[in-house]
Amino acid sequence: MSESVLTMANIEAGYGGGLVLQGVDLTVDKGTITCIVGPNGAGKSTVFRVISGLLKPKGGTVTFGGRDIGGLSPSEVLKSGIAQVPQNRALFPEMSVHENVLMGGYAIRRDRALLKERLAMVAEMVPLVKERAKEHAGNLSGGQRRMVEIGRALMLDPAVVLMDEPSLGLDPKSVATVASVIRDMAAEGRTVLMIEQNVRLGMNLATHGVVMEQGKVRLIGDAKDIADNPEVASMYLGKTGHNA
Amino acid sequence: MDLLQVIAFGVLLGGVYALLASGVTLIFGVLDVVNVAQGSFLVFSALFTWQIWSLLGLEPLLLVPVMGLLMFVIGWAIYRGLLVRVAPQGPGMTVLLMFGVAIAMEGVLNIVFGNEFKSVTPPYFTSSFKIGEIVIPYPQMISGVLAVVVLGGIYVYLRKSWAGRALRASAQNKDGAALVGISATKASSLAFGIGAMTAGVGGVLLAIMYPVYPATQYDWIARLLGIIVLGGMGSIPGAIIASMLLGISESIASAYVPQWAPVFFYGAILVILLFRPHGLLGEKTREDVAA
Ligand SMILES: Nc1ncnc2c1ncn2[C@@H]1O[C@H](COP(=O)(O)OP(=O)(O)OP(=O)(O)O)[C@@H](O)[C@H]1O
Ligand SMILES: [Mg+2]
Repeated sequence: MSESVLTMANIEAGYGGGLVLQGVDLTVDKGTITCIVGPNGAGKSTVFRVISGLLKPKGGTVTFGGRDIGGLSPSEVLKSGIAQVPQNRALFPEMSVHENVLMGGYAIRRDRALLKERLAMVAEMVPLVKERAKEHAGNLSGGQRRMVEIGRALMLDPAVVLMDEPSLGLDPKSVATVASVIRDMAAEGRTVLMIEQNVRLGMNLATHGVVMEQGKVRLIGDAKDIADNPEVASMYLGKTGHNA
Repeated sequence: MDLLQVIAFGVLLGGVYALLASGVTLIFGVLDVVNVAQGSFLVFSALFTWQIWSLLGLEPLLLVPVMGLLMFVIGWAIYRGLLVRVAPQGPGMTVLLMFGVAIAMEGVLNIVFGNEFKSVTPPYFTSSFKIGEIVIPYPQMISGVLAVVVLGGIYVYLRKSWAGRALRASAQNKDGAALVGISATKASSLAFGIGAMTAGVGGVLLAIMYPVYPATQYDWIARLLGIIVLGGMGSIPGAIIASMLLGISESIASAYVPQWAPVFFYGAILVILLFRPHGLLGEKTREDVAA
Protein backbone atom coordinates (compact mmCIF):
# COMPACT_ATOMS: atom_id res chain seq x y z
CA MET A 1 0.00 0.00 0.00
CA SER A 2 1.26 3.43 -0.84
CA GLU A 3 0.97 6.32 1.56
CA SER A 4 -1.32 9.23 0.65
CA VAL A 5 0.13 12.70 1.20
CA LEU A 6 -2.63 14.98 -0.08
CA THR A 7 -6.37 14.29 0.06
CA MET A 8 -9.43 16.24 -0.96
CA ALA A 9 -12.79 15.07 0.30
CA ASN A 10 -16.07 16.34 -1.10
CA ILE A 11 -14.63 19.76 -2.00
CA GLU A 12 -17.09 22.38 -3.19
CA ALA A 13 -15.83 25.71 -4.46
CA GLY A 14 -16.68 28.46 -6.92
CA TYR A 15 -16.20 32.09 -7.87
CA GLY A 16 -19.18 34.16 -6.77
CA GLY A 17 -22.52 32.39 -7.14
CA GLY A 18 -22.32 28.93 -8.71
CA LEU A 19 -20.17 25.96 -7.73
CA VAL A 20 -17.33 25.11 -10.10
CA LEU A 21 -16.19 22.14 -8.00
CA GLN A 22 -19.15 19.97 -7.04
CA GLY A 23 -17.79 17.50 -4.54
CA VAL A 24 -14.25 16.64 -5.61
CA ASP A 25 -12.62 13.57 -4.02
CA LEU A 26 -8.95 13.14 -4.75
CA THR A 27 -6.07 11.22 -3.20
CA VAL A 28 -2.46 11.78 -4.15
CA ASP A 29 0.14 9.24 -3.06
CA LYS A 30 3.55 10.21 -1.79
CA GLY A 31 6.35 10.33 -4.35
CA THR A 32 4.05 9.91 -7.35
CA ILE A 33 3.56 12.03 -10.41
CA THR A 34 -0.20 12.39 -10.58
CA CYS A 35 -1.69 13.98 -13.64
CA ILE A 36 -5.16 15.52 -13.88
CA VAL A 37 -6.74 15.63 -17.33
CA GLY A 38 -10.11 16.88 -18.49
CA PRO A 39 -11.79 19.27 -20.88
CA ASN A 40 -11.51 23.06 -20.69
CA GLY A 41 -13.49 24.46 -17.82
CA ALA A 42 -13.70 21.14 -15.96
CA GLY A 43 -12.32 22.82 -12.84
CA LYS A 44 -8.75 21.49 -12.93
CA SER A 45 -7.09 24.83 -12.17
CA THR A 46 -9.75 25.52 -9.57
CA VAL A 47 -8.63 22.37 -7.70
CA PHE A 48 -5.14 23.88 -7.56
CA ARG A 49 -6.44 27.26 -6.41
CA VAL A 50 -8.22 25.53 -3.52
CA ILE A 51 -5.16 23.51 -2.51
CA SER A 52 -2.82 26.51 -2.63
CA GLY A 53 -5.19 28.72 -0.65
CA LEU A 54 -5.93 31.22 -3.43
CA LEU A 55 -9.62 30.20 -3.28
CA LYS A 56 -11.45 29.23 -0.10
CA PRO A 57 -13.58 26.09 -0.45
CA LYS A 58 -17.29 26.35 0.41
CA GLY A 59 -17.38 22.78 1.68
CA GLY A 60 -15.26 19.66 2.17
CA THR A 61 -11.76 19.13 3.51
CA VAL A 62 -8.21 19.29 2.20
CA THR A 63 -5.71 17.23 4.18
CA PHE A 64 -1.96 17.44 3.75
CA GLY A 65 0.37 15.22 5.76
CA GLY A 66 -2.43 14.49 8.20
CA ARG A 67 -3.24 18.17 8.76
CA ASP A 68 -6.38 20.01 7.61
CA ILE A 69 -5.17 22.82 5.35
CA GLY A 70 -8.53 23.80 3.81
CA GLY A 71 -8.99 27.57 3.94
CA LEU A 72 -5.43 28.42 5.06
CA SER A 73 -3.84 31.49 3.48
CA PRO A 74 -1.53 30.98 0.48
CA SER A 75 1.50 31.78 2.60
CA GLU A 76 0.54 29.24 5.26
CA VAL A 77 -0.03 26.53 2.66
CA LEU A 78 3.32 27.40 1.10
CA LYS A 79 5.12 27.14 4.44
CA SER A 80 3.47 23.79 5.09
CA GLY A 81 5.28 22.44 2.01
CA ILE A 82 3.10 22.86 -1.09
CA ALA A 83 4.34 25.09 -3.93
CA GLN A 84 2.52 25.93 -7.15
CA VAL A 85 3.56 26.71 -10.69
CA PRO A 86 0.37 28.25 -12.10
CA GLN A 87 -1.09 28.10 -15.59
CA ASN A 88 -0.72 31.82 -16.28
CA ARG A 89 2.46 33.79 -16.21
CA ALA A 90 3.52 34.13 -12.61
CA LEU A 91 6.95 35.76 -12.78
CA PHE A 92 7.77 39.35 -11.90
CA PRO A 93 8.58 40.65 -15.39
CA GLU A 94 10.70 43.63 -14.36
CA MET A 95 12.85 41.70 -11.93
CA SER A 96 15.93 39.75 -12.93
CA VAL A 97 15.82 35.97 -13.11
CA HIS A 98 17.94 35.83 -9.97
CA GLU A 99 15.60 38.14 -8.08
CA ASN A 100 12.58 36.11 -9.20
CA VAL A 101 14.10 32.92 -7.84
CA LEU A 102 15.15 34.74 -4.68
CA MET A 103 11.53 35.83 -4.15
CA GLY A 104 10.63 32.15 -4.04
CA GLY A 105 12.50 32.16 -0.72
CA TYR A 106 10.47 35.05 0.68
CA ALA A 107 9.13 32.85 3.48
CA ILE A 108 12.66 31.95 4.64
CA ARG A 109 14.11 35.44 4.08
CA ARG A 110 15.42 35.73 7.63
CA ASP A 111 17.64 32.65 7.32
CA ARG A 112 20.45 33.77 5.04
CA ALA A 113 22.43 30.54 5.20
CA LEU A 114 19.38 28.48 4.25
CA LEU A 115 18.52 30.93 1.47
CA LYS A 116 22.00 30.54 0.02
CA GLU A 117 21.83 26.79 0.26
CA ARG A 118 18.49 26.71 -1.54
CA LEU A 119 19.71 29.05 -4.28
CA ALA A 120 22.55 26.61 -4.91
CA MET A 121 20.15 23.65 -4.92
CA VAL A 122 17.83 25.34 -7.40
CA ALA A 123 20.73 26.36 -9.65
CA GLU A 124 21.73 22.72 -9.80
CA MET A 125 18.25 21.49 -10.70
CA VAL A 126 17.50 24.34 -13.09
CA PRO A 127 20.83 25.54 -14.53
CA LEU A 128 19.07 28.25 -16.53
CA VAL A 129 18.53 30.35 -13.42
CA LYS A 130 22.29 30.73 -13.13
CA GLU A 131 23.03 31.12 -16.83
CA ARG A 132 20.44 33.87 -17.24
CA ALA A 133 20.63 35.26 -13.69
CA LYS A 134 20.90 38.91 -14.73
CA GLU A 135 18.29 38.89 -17.49
CA HIS A 136 14.87 40.49 -16.95
CA ALA A 137 12.26 37.77 -16.59
CA GLY A 138 10.03 39.69 -19.01
CA ASN A 139 12.55 39.11 -21.82
CA LEU A 140 12.66 35.32 -21.56
CA SER A 141 11.04 32.87 -23.97
CA GLY A 142 8.05 30.82 -22.82
CA GLY A 143 10.15 27.74 -22.10
CA GLN A 144 12.75 29.70 -20.15
CA ARG A 145 10.01 31.40 -18.17
CA ARG A 146 8.56 28.02 -17.18
CA MET A 147 11.95 26.86 -15.96
CA VAL A 148 12.38 29.98 -13.82
CA GLU A 149 8.88 29.50 -12.41
CA ILE A 150 9.80 25.94 -11.49
CA GLY A 151 13.06 27.11 -9.94
CA ARG A 152 11.22 29.71 -7.90
CA ALA A 153 8.72 27.12 -6.66
CA LEU A 154 11.58 24.87 -5.50
CA MET A 155 13.11 27.52 -3.21
CA LEU A 156 11.13 26.31 -0.21
CA ASP A 157 12.09 22.69 -0.89
CA PRO A 158 8.41 21.72 -1.14
CA ALA A 159 7.20 18.18 -0.50
CA VAL A 160 4.43 18.68 -3.07
CA VAL A 161 4.69 20.66 -6.31
CA LEU A 162 1.53 21.63 -8.17
CA MET A 163 2.09 22.25 -11.89
CA ASP A 164 -0.73 23.65 -13.99
CA GLU A 165 -0.26 22.78 -17.67
CA PRO A 166 3.55 23.01 -17.61
CA SER A 167 3.79 22.26 -21.35
CA LEU A 168 1.29 24.91 -22.44
CA GLY A 169 2.58 26.99 -25.33
CA LEU A 170 6.07 25.47 -25.27
CA ASP A 171 8.08 24.17 -28.21
CA PRO A 172 8.87 20.41 -28.18
CA LYS A 173 12.41 20.90 -26.93
CA SER A 174 11.25 22.99 -23.96
CA VAL A 175 8.54 20.43 -23.22
CA ALA A 176 11.23 17.74 -23.00
CA THR A 177 13.30 19.89 -20.61
CA VAL A 178 10.29 20.55 -18.39
CA ALA A 179 9.38 16.85 -18.42
CA SER A 180 12.88 15.89 -17.36
CA VAL A 181 12.82 18.36 -14.44
CA ILE A 182 9.48 16.89 -13.36
CA ARG A 183 11.04 13.41 -13.37
CA ASP A 184 14.02 14.74 -11.40
CA MET A 185 11.69 16.20 -8.79
CA ALA A 186 9.90 12.89 -8.36
CA ALA A 187 13.23 11.04 -8.20
CA GLU A 188 14.20 13.31 -5.30
CA GLY A 189 11.14 12.11 -3.42
CA ARG A 190 8.85 15.04 -4.12
CA THR A 191 5.23 14.49 -5.03
CA VAL A 192 4.14 16.14 -8.26
CA LEU A 193 0.50 16.89 -8.98
CA MET A 194 0.13 18.22 -12.48
CA ILE A 195 -2.53 19.22 -14.98
CA GLU A 196 -2.04 18.47 -18.66
CA GLN A 197 -4.19 19.08 -21.73
CA ASN A 198 -2.11 16.70 -23.77
CA VAL A 199 -3.30 13.37 -22.31
CA ARG A 200 -0.67 11.30 -24.11
CA LEU A 201 2.18 13.43 -22.78
CA GLY A 202 0.68 13.61 -19.30
CA MET A 203 0.06 9.89 -18.90
CA ASN A 204 3.48 9.09 -20.28
CA LEU A 205 5.12 11.19 -17.64
CA ALA A 206 2.78 10.35 -14.77
CA THR A 207 2.46 7.32 -12.56
CA HIS A 208 -1.15 8.09 -11.67
CA GLY A 209 -3.98 9.72 -13.58
CA VAL A 210 -7.15 11.59 -12.69
CA VAL A 211 -9.93 12.44 -15.14
CA MET A 212 -12.10 15.43 -14.26
CA GLU A 213 -15.35 16.49 -15.86
CA GLN A 214 -17.77 19.24 -14.95
CA GLY A 215 -16.40 19.87 -11.50
CA LYS A 216 -16.11 16.22 -10.48
CA VAL A 217 -13.52 13.46 -10.58
CA ARG A 218 -14.70 10.86 -13.10
CA LEU A 219 -11.83 8.39 -12.97
CA ILE A 220 -8.73 7.89 -10.90
CA GLY A 221 -6.08 5.19 -11.23
CA ASP A 222 -2.72 4.14 -12.65
CA ALA A 223 -1.57 6.31 -15.53
CA LYS A 224 -1.42 3.26 -17.81
CA ASP A 225 -4.98 2.23 -17.04
CA ILE A 226 -6.23 5.76 -17.63
CA ALA A 227 -4.39 5.97 -20.93
CA ASP A 228 -5.77 2.58 -21.99
CA ASN A 229 -9.30 3.32 -20.83
CA PRO A 230 -11.46 3.19 -23.96
CA GLU A 231 -13.75 5.95 -22.73
CA VAL A 232 -10.83 8.32 -22.12
CA ALA A 233 -9.31 7.29 -25.42
CA SER A 234 -12.44 8.20 -27.32
CA MET A 235 -12.88 11.43 -25.36
CA TYR A 236 -9.40 12.91 -25.56
CA LEU A 237 -6.78 10.69 -27.08
CA GLY A 238 -8.58 10.72 -30.39
CA LYS A 239 -8.74 14.48 -30.31
CA THR A 240 -5.09 15.10 -29.42
CA GLY A 241 -4.11 12.20 -31.66
CA HIS A 242 -5.28 14.24 -34.62
CA ASN A 243 -2.88 17.06 -33.87
CA ALA A 244 0.06 14.88 -32.91
CA MET B 1 16.29 85.46 -17.17
CA ASP B 2 19.13 83.20 -18.19
CA LEU B 3 17.90 79.95 -19.75
CA LEU B 4 20.33 77.88 -17.68
CA GLN B 5 18.95 79.41 -14.52
CA VAL B 6 15.40 78.70 -15.63
CA ILE B 7 16.29 75.06 -16.27
CA ALA B 8 18.03 74.73 -12.89
CA PHE B 9 14.84 76.03 -11.30
CA GLY B 10 12.79 73.55 -13.26
CA VAL B 11 14.95 70.60 -12.24
CA LEU B 12 14.65 71.49 -8.55
CA LEU B 13 10.91 71.88 -8.84
CA GLY B 14 10.79 68.65 -10.85
CA GLY B 15 12.53 66.89 -7.95
CA VAL B 16 9.70 67.87 -5.62
CA TYR B 17 7.10 66.75 -8.17
CA ALA B 18 8.98 63.49 -8.61
CA LEU B 19 8.84 62.70 -4.90
CA LEU B 20 5.10 63.38 -4.69
CA ALA B 21 4.19 61.66 -7.95
CA SER B 22 6.25 58.60 -7.05
CA GLY B 23 4.06 58.23 -3.98
CA VAL B 24 0.89 58.29 -6.09
CA THR B 25 2.24 55.94 -8.72
CA LEU B 26 3.60 53.48 -6.13
CA ILE B 27 0.16 53.27 -4.55
CA PHE B 28 -1.44 52.73 -7.95
CA GLY B 29 1.10 50.08 -8.92
CA VAL B 30 0.56 47.96 -5.82
CA LEU B 31 -3.12 48.64 -5.02
CA ASP B 32 -4.73 49.75 -8.28
CA VAL B 33 -6.03 52.70 -6.28
CA VAL B 34 -5.74 56.22 -7.66
CA ASN B 35 -5.04 58.22 -4.53
CA VAL B 36 -6.77 61.48 -5.36
CA ALA B 37 -6.29 62.53 -1.71
CA GLN B 38 -2.53 63.00 -2.19
CA GLY B 39 -3.07 66.75 -2.68
CA SER B 40 -4.97 66.95 0.60
CA PHE B 41 -2.30 64.94 2.41
CA LEU B 42 0.27 67.39 1.05
CA VAL B 43 -1.61 70.51 2.10
CA PHE B 44 -2.43 68.99 5.48
CA SER B 45 1.27 68.41 6.08
CA ALA B 46 2.17 71.92 4.88
CA LEU B 47 -0.40 73.61 7.14
CA PHE B 48 0.60 71.43 10.09
CA THR B 49 4.19 72.50 9.48
CA TRP B 50 3.09 76.13 9.40
CA GLN B 51 1.24 75.67 12.70
CA ILE B 52 4.21 74.19 14.53
CA TRP B 53 6.61 76.69 13.00
CA SER B 54 4.44 79.66 13.98
CA LEU B 55 3.90 78.35 17.51
CA LEU B 56 7.45 77.27 18.29
CA GLY B 57 9.55 79.10 15.73
CA LEU B 58 11.25 75.77 15.06
CA GLU B 59 13.42 75.25 12.00
CA PRO B 60 10.79 73.80 9.63
CA LEU B 61 13.18 71.29 8.05
CA LEU B 62 13.36 69.48 11.38
CA LEU B 63 9.75 68.51 10.70
CA VAL B 64 10.61 66.50 7.58
CA PRO B 65 10.99 63.19 9.45
CA VAL B 66 8.13 64.04 11.81
CA MET B 67 5.61 64.79 9.06
CA GLY B 68 6.89 61.87 6.98
CA LEU B 69 6.26 59.49 9.85
CA LEU B 70 2.93 61.05 10.78
CA MET B 71 1.61 60.77 7.23
CA PHE B 72 2.93 57.22 6.97
CA VAL B 73 0.85 56.28 10.00
CA ILE B 74 -2.21 58.17 8.74
CA GLY B 75 -1.90 56.54 5.30
CA TRP B 76 -1.47 53.10 6.83
CA ALA B 77 -4.55 53.69 9.01
CA ILE B 78 -6.64 54.92 6.07
CA TYR B 79 -5.77 51.74 4.21
CA ARG B 80 -6.48 49.39 7.12
CA GLY B 81 -9.57 51.24 8.29
CA LEU B 82 -11.26 52.27 5.04
CA LEU B 83 -9.66 51.18 1.81
CA VAL B 84 -9.30 47.51 2.61
CA ARG B 85 -13.09 47.26 2.93
CA VAL B 86 -13.83 49.13 -0.28
CA ALA B 87 -11.00 47.71 -2.44
CA PRO B 88 -12.96 44.57 -3.52
CA GLN B 89 -15.59 46.85 -5.13
CA GLY B 90 -13.04 47.95 -7.71
CA PRO B 91 -11.22 51.11 -8.76
CA GLY B 92 -14.36 53.23 -9.24
CA MET B 93 -15.32 52.89 -5.60
CA THR B 94 -11.82 53.47 -4.25
CA VAL B 95 -11.48 56.69 -6.23
CA LEU B 96 -14.79 57.88 -4.81
CA LEU B 97 -13.66 56.98 -1.31
CA MET B 98 -10.34 58.80 -1.66
CA PHE B 99 -12.12 61.79 -3.20
CA GLY B 100 -14.33 61.81 -0.10
CA VAL B 101 -11.26 61.68 2.13
CA ALA B 102 -9.74 64.60 0.18
CA ILE B 103 -12.84 66.78 0.52
CA ALA B 104 -13.30 65.92 4.19
CA MET B 105 -9.68 66.78 4.93
CA GLU B 106 -9.93 70.05 3.01
CA GLY B 107 -13.10 70.91 4.96
CA VAL B 108 -11.43 70.29 8.30
CA LEU B 109 -8.37 72.29 7.24
CA ASN B 110 -10.65 75.15 6.21
CA ILE B 111 -12.27 75.19 9.64
CA VAL B 112 -8.98 74.99 11.52
CA PHE B 113 -6.77 77.24 9.40
CA GLY B 114 -9.27 79.40 7.53
CA ASN B 115 -9.33 79.93 3.83
CA GLU B 116 -6.27 82.13 3.61
CA PHE B 117 -2.63 81.84 2.58
CA LYS B 118 -0.09 80.76 5.18
CA SER B 119 3.64 81.10 4.62
CA VAL B 120 6.49 79.59 6.51
CA THR B 121 9.38 82.05 6.37
CA PRO B 122 12.54 80.75 8.02
CA PRO B 123 15.58 83.09 8.08
CA TYR B 124 16.92 81.74 4.80
CA PHE B 125 13.56 82.27 3.10
CA THR B 126 14.75 85.22 1.04
CA SER B 127 18.42 84.33 0.70
CA SER B 128 19.95 82.70 -2.31
CA PHE B 129 23.31 81.61 -3.57
CA LYS B 130 25.18 81.72 -6.82
CA ILE B 131 26.83 79.04 -8.93
CA GLY B 132 28.55 81.03 -11.64
CA GLU B 133 25.79 83.05 -13.25
CA ILE B 134 22.98 80.98 -11.79
CA VAL B 135 21.15 82.39 -8.77
CA ILE B 136 19.11 79.93 -6.76
CA PRO B 137 16.97 80.79 -3.74
CA TYR B 138 17.72 78.59 -0.72
CA PRO B 139 14.16 77.27 -0.25
CA GLN B 140 14.06 75.96 -3.83
CA MET B 141 17.53 74.50 -3.51
CA ILE B 142 16.85 72.79 -0.18
CA SER B 143 13.49 71.43 -1.29
CA GLY B 144 14.73 70.06 -4.57
CA VAL B 145 17.76 68.39 -3.02
CA LEU B 146 15.87 66.96 -0.03
CA ALA B 147 13.13 65.60 -2.30
CA VAL B 148 15.72 63.80 -4.40
CA VAL B 149 17.45 62.43 -1.29
CA VAL B 150 14.18 61.03 0.10
CA LEU B 151 13.26 59.62 -3.28
CA GLY B 152 16.69 57.98 -3.48
CA GLY B 153 16.09 56.47 -0.05
CA ILE B 154 12.77 55.03 -1.21
CA TYR B 155 14.44 53.67 -4.34
CA VAL B 156 17.12 51.88 -2.34
CA TYR B 157 14.48 50.55 0.06
CA LEU B 158 12.40 49.16 -2.80
CA ARG B 159 15.46 47.58 -4.42
CA LYS B 160 17.34 46.16 -1.48
CA SER B 161 14.96 45.34 1.37
CA TRP B 162 12.70 42.32 1.45
CA ALA B 163 9.69 44.49 2.19
CA GLY B 164 10.56 46.64 -0.81
CA ARG B 165 10.98 43.62 -3.05
CA ALA B 166 7.62 42.35 -1.85
CA LEU B 167 6.05 45.67 -2.86
CA ARG B 168 7.54 45.51 -6.33
CA ALA B 169 6.51 41.88 -6.67
CA SER B 170 2.91 42.73 -5.76
CA ALA B 171 2.91 45.56 -8.27
CA GLN B 172 4.26 43.35 -11.07
CA ASN B 173 2.19 40.21 -10.56
CA LYS B 174 -0.41 39.84 -7.81
CA ASP B 175 -0.95 36.08 -8.17
CA GLY B 176 2.77 35.49 -8.39
CA ALA B 177 3.29 37.48 -5.20
CA ALA B 178 0.60 35.50 -3.36
CA LEU B 179 2.20 32.25 -4.52
CA VAL B 180 5.54 33.09 -2.93
CA GLY B 181 3.79 33.97 0.32
CA ILE B 182 3.54 37.76 0.16
CA SER B 183 0.46 39.05 1.98
CA ALA B 184 -1.47 41.41 -0.28
CA THR B 185 -2.86 43.33 2.70
CA LYS B 186 0.57 43.91 4.21
CA ALA B 187 2.10 44.97 0.91
CA SER B 188 -0.84 47.29 0.23
CA SER B 189 -0.76 48.99 3.63
CA LEU B 190 2.99 49.48 3.35
CA ALA B 191 2.64 50.95 -0.15
CA PHE B 192 -0.13 53.28 0.94
CA GLY B 193 1.90 54.32 3.98
CA ILE B 194 4.98 55.11 1.87
CA GLY B 195 2.86 56.96 -0.69
CA ALA B 196 1.32 59.10 2.04
CA MET B 197 4.77 59.62 3.57
CA THR B 198 5.98 61.29 0.39
CA ALA B 199 3.14 63.78 0.85
CA GLY B 200 4.19 64.30 4.48
CA VAL B 201 7.75 65.13 3.47
CA GLY B 202 6.56 67.09 0.45
CA GLY B 203 4.25 69.18 2.61
CA VAL B 204 7.16 70.55 4.64
CA LEU B 205 9.04 71.37 1.44
CA LEU B 206 5.94 72.97 -0.04
CA ALA B 207 5.52 75.12 3.07
CA ILE B 208 8.96 76.70 2.74
CA MET B 209 8.58 77.25 -1.02
CA TYR B 210 5.09 78.63 -1.50
CA PRO B 211 2.20 80.13 0.46
CA VAL B 212 -0.44 77.44 1.11
CA TYR B 213 -4.16 77.36 1.78
CA PRO B 214 -6.54 74.37 1.89
CA ALA B 215 -7.92 74.62 -1.66
CA THR B 216 -4.39 74.54 -3.19
CA GLN B 217 -4.82 70.74 -2.98
CA TYR B 218 -6.71 70.89 -6.31
CA ASP B 219 -3.75 72.42 -8.14
CA TRP B 220 -1.49 69.77 -6.73
CA ILE B 221 -3.61 66.74 -7.39
CA ALA B 222 -4.21 67.90 -10.96
CA ARG B 223 -0.47 68.20 -11.55
CA LEU B 224 0.29 64.86 -9.89
CA LEU B 225 -2.38 62.99 -11.85
CA GLY B 226 -1.08 64.58 -15.05
CA ILE B 227 2.43 63.43 -14.19
CA ILE B 228 1.56 59.82 -13.43
CA VAL B 229 -0.65 59.50 -16.50
CA LEU B 230 2.13 60.94 -18.65
CA GLY B 231 4.81 58.78 -17.02
CA GLY B 232 2.66 55.65 -17.28
CA MET B 233 0.44 54.59 -14.39
CA GLY B 234 2.44 52.59 -11.86
CA SER B 235 5.88 53.38 -13.28
CA ILE B 236 8.20 55.24 -10.89
CA PRO B 237 10.90 55.95 -13.51
CA GLY B 238 8.11 57.25 -15.76
CA ALA B 239 6.85 59.51 -12.99
CA ILE B 240 10.35 60.91 -12.48
CA ILE B 241 10.84 61.69 -16.17
CA ALA B 242 7.37 63.26 -16.42
CA SER B 243 8.05 65.31 -13.27
CA MET B 244 11.23 66.72 -14.76
CA LEU B 245 9.38 67.56 -17.97
CA LEU B 246 6.68 69.34 -16.01
CA GLY B 247 9.13 71.15 -13.72
CA ILE B 248 11.27 72.41 -16.58
CA SER B 249 8.39 73.30 -18.90
CA GLU B 250 6.58 75.16 -16.13
CA SER B 251 9.74 77.00 -15.23
CA ILE B 252 10.45 77.99 -18.82
CA ALA B 253 6.86 78.99 -19.45
CA SER B 254 6.58 81.10 -16.31
CA ALA B 255 9.85 82.87 -17.09
CA TYR B 256 8.90 83.81 -20.64
CA VAL B 257 5.12 83.47 -21.05
CA PRO B 258 3.69 83.24 -17.54
CA GLN B 259 0.03 83.18 -18.53
CA TRP B 260 0.64 80.10 -20.72
CA ALA B 261 2.44 77.96 -18.14
CA PRO B 262 -0.32 75.37 -17.51
CA VAL B 263 -1.20 75.07 -21.20
CA PHE B 264 2.34 73.98 -21.98
CA PHE B 265 2.28 70.97 -19.72
CA TYR B 266 -1.26 69.76 -20.26
CA GLY B 267 -0.89 70.32 -24.00
CA ALA B 268 2.26 68.21 -23.95
CA ILE B 269 0.40 65.44 -22.08
CA LEU B 270 -2.34 65.40 -24.70
CA VAL B 271 0.07 65.16 -27.59
CA ILE B 272 2.24 62.49 -25.98
CA LEU B 273 -0.76 60.37 -24.99
CA LEU B 274 -2.02 60.48 -28.58
CA PHE B 275 1.11 58.60 -29.59
CA ARG B 276 1.72 56.61 -26.41
CA PRO B 277 -1.65 55.85 -24.82
CA HIS B 278 0.01 53.96 -21.94
CA GLY B 279 2.22 56.92 -21.09
CA LEU B 280 5.98 57.20 -21.47
CA LEU B 281 6.93 54.01 -19.59
CA GLY B 282 3.53 52.64 -18.76
CA GLU B 283 3.02 49.50 -20.74
CA LYS B 284 5.42 47.07 -19.14
CA THR B 285 3.94 46.74 -15.66
CA ARG B 286 0.29 46.34 -16.59
CA GLU B 287 -1.73 43.12 -16.67
CA ASP B 288 -1.88 42.82 -20.44
CA VAL B 289 1.77 41.86 -20.36
CA ALA B 290 1.87 40.08 -17.01
CA ALA B 291 -1.19 37.90 -17.65
N1 LIG C 1 -11.26 33.83 -11.50
C1 LIG C 1 -12.41 33.31 -11.95
N2 LIG C 1 -13.58 33.99 -11.79
C2 LIG C 1 -14.74 33.47 -12.24
N3 LIG C 1 -14.86 32.29 -12.83
C3 LIG C 1 -13.75 31.55 -13.02
C4 LIG C 1 -12.47 32.02 -12.58
N4 LIG C 1 -11.54 31.09 -12.90
C5 LIG C 1 -12.22 30.09 -13.49
N5 LIG C 1 -13.53 30.36 -13.56
C6 LIG C 1 -14.56 29.46 -14.13
O1 LIG C 1 -14.51 28.23 -13.47
C7 LIG C 1 -14.66 27.15 -14.37
C8 LIG C 1 -13.51 26.19 -14.22
O2 LIG C 1 -12.31 26.87 -14.52
P1 LIG C 1 -10.88 26.22 -14.37
O3 LIG C 1 -9.89 27.26 -14.68
O4 LIG C 1 -10.76 25.53 -13.08
O5 LIG C 1 -10.92 25.14 -15.54
P2 LIG C 1 -9.76 24.24 -16.12
O6 LIG C 1 -10.24 22.84 -16.02
O7 LIG C 1 -8.47 24.56 -15.51
O8 LIG C 1 -9.80 24.66 -17.64
P3 LIG C 1 -8.58 24.93 -18.66
O9 LIG C 1 -8.25 23.62 -19.25
O10 LIG C 1 -9.20 25.84 -19.66
O11 LIG C 1 -7.45 25.56 -17.91
C9 LIG C 1 -14.78 27.76 -15.75
O12 LIG C 1 -16.13 27.77 -16.11
C10 LIG C 1 -14.25 29.15 -15.58
O13 LIG C 1 -14.95 30.04 -16.43
MG1 LIG D 1 -6.75 25.48 -16.12
